[in-house]
Amino acid sequence: MSEPAAPPDAGRPEVLDGPFNTRQLLRLDQALRVADKSTGLTFSVYVGDVDDPPREFAEKLHGQLADPARSVLIAVSPNQRVLEIVTGSDARRRVLDREAKLAALSMVAAFTGGDLTGGIVIGLDQLATHAGRA
Amino acid sequence: MDVVETVAVFVGIPALIVIVVGGLAYAGSDGIRRGKRYRPGRPYDFAPVWFLAAPEQVTAASDAKQLGAKPQPPALSTGELESDGSQSGPVAVSQGATGGASDRW
Repeated sequence: MSEPAAPPDAGRPEVLDGPFNTRQLLRLDQALRVADKSTGLTFSVYVGDVDDPPREFAEKLHGQLADPARSVLIAVSPNQRVLEIVTGSDARRRVLDREAKLAALSMVAAFTGGDLTGGIVIGLDQLATHAGRA
Repeated sequence: MDVVETVAVFVGIPALIVIVVGGLAYAGSDGIRRGKRYRPGRPYDFAPVWFLAAPEQVTAASDAKQLGAKPQPPALSTGELESDGSQSGPVAVSQGATGGASDRW
């Protein structure tokens, strides 16, 4: 698990007030780590509102990462019901757009059922599997 | 066996099992799922959260909270980028093409 570190300043970490409970956060964290470790790419997940047009917003976010070329960003907006998967220039050679679309389909199927965590974990798993080992 | 015993065995025990199992199921779902459960179409009021496995991967300054979640993506609304959407200018946004997919539900 990433640093259980930071001395609890005001008690609960802010992230627990979001849509995910502790168990779901742990699942997400583990899915991200496994995906990162097995592929060597950097995966990240953004859950929140996206400004129109969503694709541009997602690409801007993606560009803020430390290594955009080798990063994959999954942006989910439950309010607007939009899902964007952005793969950097190196990452997209390993995760083809077609495979990203397949992962998106699975994720959307889970989201429609109200399962945010499950959908994200499924998406990360599929993308990481398609990307292959580092 | 007399009537009371018969009823107790054949009705009481199954009823007891049903109640116990039902109670466990109810308690399980009530604790975790209800309340904050997301359903499409219902409003989603939480602050944006951005998850990374290791928080030091983000270049922009942030105080990453526990589990690497970073609320509020920094400085996105400042209009640094050209609105025509093409890659240009000093901002290090998506050099080279980015790929991926989009979808809605």
